[in-house]
Amino acid sequence: MKINIEDAIYPKELRKIKNPPKSLYVKGNIKLLDTPCIAIIGTRECTQYGERMAKKFSRELSIQGITIISGMAKGIDSFAHIGSIETTGNTIAVLPSGLNNIYPEENIKLYKDIIKNNGLIVTEYEENEKENSKRFLERNRIVSGIAIGTLVIEGGYRSGTSVTARLTKQQDKKIFCVPSSLESKKGITPNKLIKEGAYLVTEIDDIIKEYKDLKLKRKQINNKVQKDIYKEQYTEKQIINETIKQEYKTIYNILQKEKAMNINEIVKKSKLDIKEVNYKLMMLELEDKIVSLPGSNFKIK
Amino acid sequence: MLSNIKTISLNGIDGNLVEVQTDISGGLPNFEIVGLPDASVKESKERIRVSIKNSGIDLPSRRILINLAPANTKKEGTSYDLPIAIGILDALGEILYKNLENTIFIGELSLDGKINRINGILPMCIEAMNLGIKRVIIPKANEREAAVIEGLQIIGVNTLKEVIDYLNKKNDIKETHIDIIKIFNKKNKNDIDFSEVRGQENVKRALEISAAGGHNCILIGSPGSGKTMIARRIPTILPDLTFEEALEVTKIHSISGMLDSSIGIVAQRPFRSPHHTISTTSMIGGGKIPKPGEISLAHNGVLFLDELPEFNRNTLEVLRGPLEDRNVTISRLHSKVIYPSNFMLIASMNPCPCGYYGSLEKQCQCSKIAIQKYLNKISGPLLDRIDIHIEVKPVKYQKLNSNNKEETSKQIKERVNNARRIQYIRYKNTNIFSNSELTPKMIEQYCILDNECKKILELAFNKLGLSARAYTRILKVSRTIADLDNKRNIEKSHLAEAIQYRNLDKKYGDKF
Repeated sequence: MKINIEDAIYPKELRKIKNPPKSLYVKGNIKLLDTPCIAIIGTRECTQYGERMAKKFSRELSIQGITIISGMAKGIDSFAHIGSIETTGNTIAVLPSGLNNIYPEENIKLYKDIIKNNGLIVTEYEENEKENSKRFLERNRIVSGIAIGTLVIEGGYRSGTSVTARLTKQQDKKIFCVPSSLESKKGITPNKLIKEGAYLVTEIDDIIKEYKDLKLKRKQINNKVQKDIYKEQYTEKQIINETIKQEYKTIYNILQKEKAMNINEIVKKSKLDIKEVNYKLMMLELEDKIVSLPGSNFKIK
Repeated sequence: MLSNIKTISLNGIDGNLVEVQTDISGGLPNFEIVGLPDASVKESKERIRVSIKNSGIDLPSRRILINLAPANTKKEGTSYDLPIAIGILDALGEILYKNLENTIFIGELSLDGKINRINGILPMCIEAMNLGIKRVIIPKANEREAAVIEGLQIIGVNTLKEVIDYLNKKNDIKETHIDIIKIFNKKNKNDIDFSEVRGQENVKRALEISAAGGHNCILIGSPGSGKTMIARRIPTILPDLTFEEALEVTKIHSISGMLDSSIGIVAQRPFRSPHHTISTTSMIGGGKIPKPGEISLAHNGVLFLDELPEFNRNTLEVLRGPLEDRNVTISRLHSKVIYPSNFMLIASMNPCPCGYYGSLEKQCQCSKIAIQKYLNKISGPLLDRIDIHIEVKPVKYQKLNSNNKEETSKQIKERVNNARRIQYIRYKNTNIFSNSELTPKMIEQYCILDNECKKILELAFNKLGLSARAYTRILKVSRTIADLDNKRNIEKSHLAEAIQYRNLDKKYGDKF
């Protein structure tokens, strides 16, 4: 579907920027263009920290009823979309290519997921146009253009991320940054932006409180997802403990919530045989009581 | 005068009878060898001429013609020196007692008449035995190797002069005997043992299962976590070599010239750990004159590939066939040989380029893409053949220093032997020996799950995002765990533990 700049549905925020696209090609739920959007942007080559942060903030913003907009590139962009989809939130992907040439190809599954999840795909290029390096930057101006603010997760020195951040600034919109370690190469852009006056974000309220006048409708998400998210914060070990079978309790009680523990340490502390520990850990994991992390480490969910 | 002497040539790991026919007649002085000799055999002329002279016998200026029959197969190597020399001496009438019908001569000569050791004595002697030969005359340095074969008179000789005197009954050489049982008993004294590995209970358990079911295994862990140290100890928990197996191993080591001449038979399971710069040819064998590669040298033992992703991709891909077929066929222009290669593959790798992915102590610096790239160096089909994945963690100092009693290899081996026995009995009427060789059809027959297990497996697939290829491997491994537990049926504890060894499927994306 094609939307021209004169149309009522054309995003208001986008119309305000210096060089808005004359028309947009869209696929999916076009109502999203009328919702408040926050852009989540970052490097394609993100660290595991970046992945976690992108998903976390995307999920939490989605729950607050904010639409997540990003570029569907690899790395942070993908995780931003995924985070939103996980909470059945709203998400918009802006492509650097026509709708018949989904870029990047690896993300075709994500593309389908977005459509399936009542999301929206936007591009200013005609159906069969291909992506090129110039179009990545052009795409970025739409991402920040539709959004009311931009959250920067990770980005290297002189990266596409820093360009988008600059565009956001030119468009007179707010920039939020998740800080990174000073030793991380991918933390250069967000840290530099913070130094230059961007909002430092450590929790979701840092973003929400800047948009007090917006009447956000908290998203009605299905119970299971909500439980998952709030479990992380509010559930007490005690409550879950009661639902655990007696035979797995010895192991469950050794594990901690905050700190992961290696399997060999569990063996030592429980004084059980390794085969039993292996079996019980697996059963606990299947029952969703614990999570296993790389390196044969386990912690309570 | 004409003479006929017998010797044995090698083709792959099998011997073939070769007749050395010698004729000495009048005419222009000449010395010629026919019957497709290669350069090393042609050169033997000079060694033979000089060593006969230096043994105190004058070579007459006559026409000497040697034919190596069958004349249509290529002859190579230096083991023809001794039979040709004896053939010439016989034709000259220097050998008085003509009872050489049932004797095989094998050996290389040096200029002073000394007889040097050669490679491949064992398969040659096995062939001699099969042909009904009574006596073999071989280099002294090879005698213990040949003495493994019973019912063959083994005469080890040092010099050409000694052979001539022996054949002329001027001196007597005692035949060689070795005590195989003694050698086999001695091998149990390993200088390494699993009790030296502190902590690492999960790794030890995984390797015990690997050994019990013959499963290939990959160890994933950061640098310095002890992957190599642990892998070296795997042969100590593998079931003992049987005599037939030992003979096969010895054959391969014999033709590769890797046999310790003081021992005679390889009584321990081999452990091969080639460096990752190894070429494809040295990995599976080959060359103009085919030689066994690392996979054959690891026959009936362990092939350990340290730092798996660093290996050349092609070198790894060629392993796929031998891992299935348990042998490798090498075809060259002039020859085609089959070497056995029934080995257990143990591989190790870092979890990511920096090595600290998943570490609790150190932060991993790798991007997601870098990790994926690293894992992509190993192909799916190769990983398909690896049943068990296990993560190895470095051991903390306190644990290294603790006085905890660790299990010895002997204790582990006992359990492994029991599990193997169960499998051996179960698969008596099939052509496989261990759980790792189960075909999909056999899995249906031998790995039956009850309803509770089926539910767990289904849950695991949905929750953990396991790939389809994980399915058969979980079943095979749980079969082995059940065998270790001496249980007839797979129970949920067995199944759940087996899933634990596929956990990486999830943690490292689709790769595993």
